Amino acid sequence: MKMTVSARVGLILAALAFVFLPMVLGGQWIKILISTGCFIIAASGVAFMYSRLGMVSLGQVALMGVGGWVMLRMNHAFHLPFEVNLAVAGAVTLMFGWLLAMPALRMRGLYLALITLMAAGGLEVIFSTFRFPNGGEGFWGVMPSVAAPFQRPLLATEDSDYLRYIIFWIVAAFLIIEMHMRTAPGRAWAMIRRSEAAAYSSGVNVVYYKAWAFGLAGFLAGISGGLLAGGLGLLDPATFRASESIMLFALMVVGGSRGWLGVIIAGILYRVVPALFNDWTIDADLALVIFGAALLHAIITAPNGLSGQLLDLIAKLSKRT
Amino acid sequence: MIKLDNICVQFGGVKALDNINAEFSQPISGIIGPNGAGKTTTMNSVSGFLDYQGTISWNGEVIDGLNPFKRTRWGLRRSFQKEQIADDLTVIDNLKALIDNLGIKGSQRKQDLEWAIESMGISALAYREAATLNTYERRLTDLARCILGNPKIVMLDEPCGGLQQDETERLGDLILKIPQLTRANTLVIDHDVDLIARICAETLVLDFGKPIAFGKTREVLANPKVKAAYLGVEEVA
Ligand SMILES: Nc1ncnc2c1ncn2[C@@H]1O[C@H](COP(=O)(O)OP(=O)(O)O)[C@@H](O)[C@H]1O
Ligand SMILES: [Mg+2]
Repeated sequence: MKMTVSARVGLILAALAFVFLPMVLGGQWIKILISTGCFIIAASGVAFMYSRLGMVSLGQVALMGVGGWVMLRMNHAFHLPFEVNLAVAGAVTLMFGWLLAMPALRMRGLYLALITLMAAGGLEVIFSTFRFPNGGEGFWGVMPSVAAPFQRPLLATEDSDYLRYIIFWIVAAFLIIEMHMRTAPGRAWAMIRRSEAAAYSSGVNVVYYKAWAFGLAGFLAGISGGLLAGGLGLLDPATFRASESIMLFALMVVGGSRGWLGVIIAGILYRVVPALFNDWTIDADLALVIFGAALLHAIITAPNGLSGQLLDLIAKLSKRT
Repeated sequence: MIKLDNICVQFGGVKALDNINAEFSQPISGIIGPNGAGKTTTMNSVSGFLDYQGTISWNGEVIDGLNPFKRTRWGLRRSFQKEQIADDLTVIDNLKALIDNLGIKGSQRKQDLEWAIESMGISALAYREAATLNTYERRLTDLARCILGNPKIVMLDEPCGGLQQDETERLGDLILKIPQLTRANTLVIDHDVDLIARICAETLVLDFGKPIAFGKTREVLANPKVKAAYLGVEEVA
């Protein structure tokens, strides 16, 4: 398989980040980047659904919550390796993605978005009612105040190593999506996006491939939620509110949905910018105002998002020299 | 042979197709008629895109029970009035998107793809992104898809729409090659009566969803009823 320039640049940057980021950053920022990385993985799922199938999913962060819940549940119930728990979290959330897909498969555009948003709302209620397992008794596994310890991967028990572990997973997530794009599912999705008639006349089983897309997005959400659980050790229902799913989608549009750069920008806007504002003691609500303006800017002037504008700029500059 | 047996289609209270009967036995046949006559609706019925009454078969194989994507897998190919190439795929990926679903694997798959692309003379375009193609090149890509995977029925809905005179002629030549390249029966809709007269041995004429003539193209075009319903309108326009 041929590697594109963009893929090569991305892999080099990932390698540099892998080696140097944990070395140069302080403890607090490593923690922030760990959760940023998790949201980048989740955003990659919505981004490919949006850019490749034209499907708007407003439930991705809620699905992360499902993955996180399963991860914590597994962690506190059994003594299995982290990766096994992560695989279970990914698989269960994949099935949640399918569940979500069932009513949504016959719908398009706004209706599909609304269905996913309703599901996110439902999950928000469940999370805030039952909260996340922290080592307590019974199925829901919640005990008051203290929490039992969380078992991180053996290779990455320290925060700095865990950040590396996350970077590895970001690359893996992008590669999984890229593999899909270059094979039959990616082509089927392109046909579905063109039109249902185009898909049918290509022999594409539209329901099957749409469900596959939901499953993949769900899997990525599950992995990212599981990794976030590993990063924080415990999870708070407020992290997975329906409004967060909308926010992640909106920032993905701002960043640009078509490549890795846009998804990275989305993750940075989602997690790093508010943290910076916090550092500078600027009101966090100001971030919302800026995001709103950025979204308008993206919708009106930059169909490929900030990443598209950046790449255009680079292309222009390199032509001039 | 493509056989349409008592095909009726209803949109709300409107009868879009009223008892269409036709046996297209020639390698290439045409469907003509004024705008809104029901030509595209006929093709959409064969595609299974809409509910119809009646029976559609090819060489005795009835396809009514197959849903749209299974009809493609069975051997139906078609192009659309507005071509449906995926812009973000290359030309060859647009072909792969079809062959992916036909169960053709390995070296056969590679061979079929190359053959289809070469047959339509677009080898030079194979790795171009479809977004960069002009109308004629998009039509060629459509045709390459239509001959791929040993088709049984090929349907072309206004394949020469938006083309220049010389492009229409070249595309006509390529359509004429389909019977040599495949075993398929081909159906062509077009407004260009010269094109239909040149490439279609048999023609069905529709008007307001009703068949008003069917037979050898030359005879059909000479039919006074056809002239009144269609050619008169067309000549003024
Ligand atoms: N999906 C649809 N719903 C309602 N009416 C339709 C639909 N498709 C076509 N029609 C109507 O059926 C008639 C035949 O249309 P069509 O087959 O597209 O004509 P043409 O011969 O120009 O291809 C027209 O009056 C058109 O408005
Ligand atoms: Mg038409």
